[in-house]
Amino acid sequence: MFNKLLISARAIALGVALSIASLPAAADSVSDAKLEEMQKKLDQSMKMIEALGARVKELEGHASNGPAAAGAAPAPNPQRLEAVEQKVAQIETANATRQSDDSGLPIHGFADVNVGNHNLYFPYAKGTNVGSLDFYLAPKLGDRVVSLAELIFETGPDGHVGTDLERFQIGYQFNDQATVWVGRFHTPYGYVNTALHHGVWLADALRRPKFVNFEDKGGVMPAHTTGVWVTGAQREGDGKFLYDFYVGNGQQIQGGTLDMQTGGNLHGAAIAGTRLSYQFIGGAVDGLLVGVNGFTDKVNDDNATNPALIRLNMVGAYAVYDTDTWEHIIEAYSFHDKSLNGSPGTHRSEAWFAQFGYRASWGVPYIRYERAMLDQSDPYFSEQTFGASYYRSALGVRFDINAKSSIKFEVAHTRNTDDRPATDYRPSDAEIGLPQQFNEILAQYAVRF
Amino acid sequence: MRIQILAVAVGTFLVSWGTAAGAGDLVVICNTSVSLKADEVRDVYFGDKGFAGPVKLLPADNSAAQDAFLEKVMKLDAKKYAGVWIKKAFRDGSAPPPLKASDAEAIAYVKQTAGACSYITSAPGDGVVVVAKF
Repeated sequence: MFNKLLISARAIALGVALSIASLPAAADSVSDAKLEEMQKKLDQSMKMIEALGARVKELEGHASNGPAAAGAAPAPNPQRLEAVEQKVAQIETANATRQSDDSGLPIHGFADVNVGNHNLYFPYAKGTNVGSLDFYLAPKLGDRVVSLAELIFETGPDGHVGTDLERFQIGYQFNDQATVWVGRFHTPYGYVNTALHHGVWLADALRRPKFVNFEDKGGVMPAHTTGVWVTGAQREGDGKFLYDFYVGNGQQIQGGTLDMQTGGNLHGAAIAGTRLSYQFIGGAVDGLLVGVNGFTDKVNDDNATNPALIRLNMVGAYAVYDTDTWEHIIEAYSFHDKSLNGSPGTHRSEAWFAQFGYRASWGVPYIRYERAMLDQSDPYFSEQTFGASYYRSALGVRFDINAKSSIKFEVAHTRNTDDRPATDYRPSDAEIGLPQQFNEILAQYAVRF
Repeated sequence: MRIQILAVAVGTFLVSWGTAAGAGDLVVICNTSVSLKADEVRDVYFGDKGFAGPVKLLPADNSAAQDAFLEKVMKLDAKKYAGVWIKKAFRDGSAPPPLKASDAEAIAYVKQTAGACSYITSAPGDGVVVVAKF
């Protein structure tokens, strides 16, 4: 019996050897040295088989002396084995059906601290400043019901920490082509406002362009809307069409800052707008996204007797090239406004920026130029504290410390090109302490968690 | 002699089988409720495709085969894949696919969950739809 086993083992080894030998021949890529090495291994294997054979023979001899001498190891109990198998299957099934949304509600967020010769948003302040502590959560409420809340603690223009429910939206997904959101959301225009949000870690650049920043950070556009937003996408060939339609409460300028009227407004004023985009997928222009957008917004101010201020009309276009190597963003806006408060006239203003970034293995250097030419006879801009025309050129770099933290540096030159005396609604730039032109050296430590 | 021939055949088979397994076929599978094309798999795992007809898709990653999947199908590494989902989650509240620990877990999940999809490197067995092989 043992001899037969030994012959079989040798034959298997021979088969293995033949197969191994045939593989390189077929591949035609193995050297003689390698064959020699394999021959040695085969010899070693044969020796091992013979040694094992001897050991088997020895054990067979022990076994023939009686069951008592055969060793104390009991034969496996088939019923017990079956029970263990069932248990393992149950564990696998339980793990398989466990969803990520069953493990409580995860909270994620972003935070940043900054050092510079000017505050990056409010240039009249200098030194170290706490940027923001931003929490967001997206409770899963079923397959099609979606929700998103973003709560932020941030330093305001007066240096005090304020709390803001930046986004709170609940939606329903009908399909890939239509999701309806209700609540407070980031107004869909351009790329930066909906792609990069408040978490500065997300962006390669140290800060957003000034005129598309948030309302309380120097921005002059309605970055938030409280209303209804329909969005979706349709895959077509080597790309996809994306659309957004929204309608919401018209904004109001309060104390020199645009407010999105989260609690509803008193006068029924509304904003309505759209964004249409096309994203290229694959091919030579993979990563290119182009789009147009526009809105019309009846904006009030905090004048108690005649709050209707202006009909704000915006049209714009944008292009983004976002790949492993490049991040280029261009956005341009044109404003055609009509006064509603009795003062005559229509007003036209423009603003645009272009940013080019290179994603190197060691970091992301970028350059940006931004320009806003805002008609100061347009009360929409003249009543806003940060509504002056300006240009800014900036050069920066981002270094990732690890997957969750980054350090960014930026040098920039900004020049405000309007002379802004005080109005009934805000003090003059000089009174606020806004320098006419200034150079900045900024550093930022940004994290996500 | 017959035993020897048989043993040679077994040895040859073992090596050939081992070589084939080493090729590491990656199989994308879905629940029987799902009708999906092979070229749509990437969109599903980028979160760009959430529905197959009326069925809400519930993709799951499989840590036992994730490296191969990211390389062969998604064409990016784990860091970039995670980055895509961080941005997407912050943008529209989407959650990244849950992570299964093994082929067995992935198969069980797909079998039991309407709309589920995952990927494995072993034989899928019955009760699932094979969407693509890479």
